Amino acid sequence: MEKIELLQELKSKFDRNIIAVDENADIYTLTISSVSVKPILSFLKEEKDYQFLTDLCGIHYPGREKELGVIYHLHNLVENKRLRIKTFVTKANPKVESVSQVFSAANWMERETFDFYGVDFVGHPNQKRILNVEYMDYFPMRKEYPLEDATRTDKDDKFFGR
Amino acid sequence: MKTTYSEHHLDLTKQDEQVYSTLNLGPTHPATHGIFQNILMMNGETIVDAEQTIGYIHRAFEKIAERRPYYQITTLTDRLNYCSSPINNIGWHLAVEKLLGVEPGKRVDYMRIIVMELARIADHLVCNSVIGVDSGALTGFVYLFEEREAIYEIYEELCGARLTTNLGRVGGFDRDFSPLAIQKIKALMKRIPKVLHEFENLLMRNRIFMDRTVSVGGLSAERALNYGFSGPNLRATGIDYDVRVMEPYCSYNDFEFIVPVGQSGDVYDRFCVRQTEMWESIKLINNALDNLPEGKFNTEVPAFFLPPKEDVYSKMEPLIAHFKMIMGEIDVPEKEIYKAVEAANGELGFYLVADGGRSPYRLHFRRPGFIYYQAFPEIIKGSSLSDAILTMSSMNVIAGELDA
Repeated sequence: MEKIELLQELKSKFDRNIIAVDENADIYTLTISSVSVKPILSFLKEEKDYQFLTDLCGIHYPGREKELGVIYHLHNLVENKRLRIKTFVTKANPKVESVSQVFSAANWMERETFDFYGVDFVGHPNQKRILNVEYMDYFPMRKEYPLEDATRTDKDDKFFGR
Repeated sequence: MKTTYSEHHLDLTKQDEQVYSTLNLGPTHPATHGIFQNILMMNGETIVDAEQTIGYIHRAFEKIAERRPYYQITTLTDRLNYCSSPINNIGWHLAVEKLLGVEPGKRVDYMRIIVMELARIADHLVCNSVIGVDSGALTGFVYLFEEREAIYEIYEELCGARLTTNLGRVGGFDRDFSPLAIQKIKALMKRIPKVLHEFENLLMRNRIFMDRTVSVGGLSAERALNYGFSGPNLRATGIDYDVRVMEPYCSYNDFEFIVPVGQSGDVYDRFCVRQTEMWESIKLINNALDNLPEGKFNTEVPAFFLPPKEDVYSKMEPLIAHFKMIMGEIDVPEKEIYKAVEAANGELGFYLVADGGRSPYRLHFRRPGFIYYQAFPEIIKGSSLSDAILTMSSMNVIAGELDA
């Protein structure tokens, strides 16, 4: 019931920005448009007590129109409820508004998502690579970079004897 | 010529009023336990600003996990927070069990609680004794490490390994607790309260220790929450968020235990919270051992549980099953889940997207250390360098977890 109320309130406020709802997942999941990420997350934080940004990470679905995704996990510590929010962007224009002004925790998690998936967080105070070397020129967690086949035999590696 | 430096210095002072010097702390500095680099802007002894560089031991676990079969990912979790690997292992098993919809029996739950609380004690022993070391008291460290050694010997008895344990299996354990293991746990539980008391007598009300730690490295509850703190660091600020209570797993709700909270979130509060948590862990282990139910030490998860070796060698079906499992040819539902456990330094979460194949489509580790370490510059601004070192050890930032 509460979830339906929350959804109705969100729909009345943000209307078309709520794209899909998944009630069968382990955590109530909303898919929202990439332009509405900051207003919706701020609203949930300020008005609905979702004060804790548990997690923020990227995902890549090659073949879809909007390939890259960002997934937010929010936690309402007052009522102990979790909420998952997803947003998807195209690879050509991977822009999502940064929420690091809303949640300080998002700062590094957004940098990590940028580092591995190349999602561009607009308004991020310090968007640069965090775990990989700075001169890396690709985004390694995207699916077009498969891991090396462990059984390959064509490689002559002096150090590891393959 | 001799006066060049001071003249230059004076000139700068005239221009900018204030002269800051840059200090490069790390990546390998003996005072920061692990590979951490901090570039500090100093005004004399006071820190004006700081920036961390991380990623020195990044090993691409999330990418590697995308091609490994589920049971092989346990070894990756070992290397996250390597001070308490069993919690990570069991957390991952719980995540896979949630994906498969498997509910292990009570005996498995209780055995897991014993192992996880032992790991929590081991982790807190390291953290708290190192706070002692960094404030100038090496003695406590030496005494506590003997007890950590005893815990590692228990791991050794349970699974054969000490540091990167790969303990347990999806659905339970690969073997039951041996009588020797139970004997070792009981012996430790008998001995450790005395050692902890001694350690507390050494530091808890020690004038020098309190001068070094009280109202050093504090953070308000509001800021800590905003920064995504969890575990003892969050509880030290006064917020009683503990995954074991909020979302009980492994039958933690069968037991009564206190979730200690602090007030000001400073180094001393973190120390006290960890210290109290160890006492609660001892209580939990004793309770779980006393009430350890009879039953199986594993659950029948056909796709994850290797058949007995004698059968594999002598019968056809177990041999096929064994082979399929080892090759990772197993079916999992197409689902996405998030499963969190209370690791020694916070909420360790596994966000797992499964597409039904042999390995996860996407696996993300919510690593508590990675999330709270970003608050470090804000915490140490305005404090002295020696206090910053102390703050860092009290936050219990583990490089393996930080860099994944």
